[in-house]
Amino acid sequence: MNELGPAVELERAEAISPDPINPKIRTLEVIDTDFHFSPKWETLRGYLKEPFKSRLYHFPVGSLEYNPEPANEKPGIGQDTHGTASTGAEVIGVLDRFGTDIVIMNPGYTRPQAIFNEPVIAAIARAHNDYLIEEVFPVSERIKASMMICHRDPQMGADEIRRVGHHRQFVGVFTSFSGLFEPIGTAKYDPILDAMQEFDLVLTSHSEGWFPHFTPLWTGARTWIELFGNAPAGNCMAHLAAMIVQGMFDKYPRQKVIFQEGGYWWLPDFMLRLDDFYMSSGGDIALTERKLASGERWLHKMPSQYVLDHVRFSTQPITIPKNRKHFGWLLELCHAQDLFCFSSDWPHQTMDPANWVVENPDCIPDEMQKKLLSGNARKLYGRL
Amino acid sequence: MKEYLLGKIEDIPEGRGRAFKAGARTVAVFRSNGKIYAIANRCVHKGASICDGDLSDNGKVVRCPWHNWAFDLETGRHCLDRTERLRTYEVKLAGDQVILCA
Repeated sequence: MNELGPAVELERAEAISPDPINPKIRTLEVIDTDFHFSPKWETLRGYLKEPFKSRLYHFPVGSLEYNPEPANEKPGIGQDTHGTASTGAEVIGVLDRFGTDIVIMNPGYTRPQAIFNEPVIAAIARAHNDYLIEEVFPVSERIKASMMICHRDPQMGADEIRRVGHHRQFVGVFTSFSGLFEPIGTAKYDPILDAMQEFDLVLTSHSEGWFPHFTPLWTGARTWIELFGNAPAGNCMAHLAAMIVQGMFDKYPRQKVIFQEGGYWWLPDFMLRLDDFYMSSGGDIALTERKLASGERWLHKMPSQYVLDHVRFSTQPITIPKNRKHFGWLLELCHAQDLFCFSSDWPHQTMDPANWVVENPDCIPDEMQKKLLSGNARKLYGRL
Repeated sequence: MKEYLLGKIEDIPEGRGRAFKAGARTVAVFRSNGKIYAIANRCVHKGASICDGDLSDNGKVVRCPWHNWAFDLETGRHCLDRTERLRTYEVKLAGDQVILCA
């Protein structure tokens, strides 16, 4: 900064409030497949049934024990770095700000799936779903959601699906791929899958609470990078592998699954490795519950084919290599054109607005942009 | 390169950013410890508006409001990955008037 003499006549720069969203986003249909809705506890409590309503004074802590504050050096903000939406009107405000046309909401950190008290989980899930039906869905048809269930008890989960599955603004069922429970994909969850077949619902499998008492994969972790930056991918792969090789898609051939926040750049190795193992050492597939029941010895298809036919991935968090060729190769190797569905993960720390989809046209041409932003989601979710 | 008048120095609040349209460019302007800095407004990471970021490190660094990327106000370089950079612009004072060269 230099000091000059008296001012001369100059063009005045206009003070503005820039819109960080790329203008092209507002010209395309955008469906956000992972957006977190966090009802206020007092609101949710109003929908709780007894005896939970009288005894649950606060939201049961259990979804997380660690948050990004020490990592971000921003005390007091916690997980909801970009805000909180607790009502339908607040949701619509965020959608308009980010150029989103339709949102598929998941529960925020108002989800207690990581705790062990299954009746409490089921009671909160019921209250969450009732609040959506009564007060949030009526605000706008732009608001859709995956219903909360207690997947730890598959019969409770199935009961909730049958109770609210008729409501067409529920487009999926929310489960998670991290926690001390068997992977969704094992036969013990068949009651949930049975109930889902009665409706047209996508199974959502989302990252969940942190720290080793929720999943052994986090044993020894001390940093946010280990806990949240890296570990979800391993948990995600475990759940996907169980779905495929334990015959979930053979028993439920119409079922579609979307994985969220577990990454996807690992897919090429995952698909090749499952196929290779299947061809060389897949004999124990015949000993899994569903195959014992059906009497089948093998899967109906090669493992990698199930990924292409049944599985989709929400895009957040996207990591883009600096080398353009590498980015293009990753997208191709992961079949992104058909498997990727845009998501923002608003309002969490690693939130992705849709800018990146339209700002890499050398790797993501126009038609592919449309598929990522809404086309693939429209094909996936029968109720959209 | 062209000179633009941003206004009086007291119009730029200490410790907070403001965005200005200078020709085709949008520039984030900060006053920190009495000094004026001008830096490209669009974060190279995912496109956030840097003018909405917070200052840290004794006012020498701006943190992107979306993902906390840290840029040196003087050089525009990311504090950890020096290959990532926001363009910086020269700022002059003419009396109490702030002039941006962009």
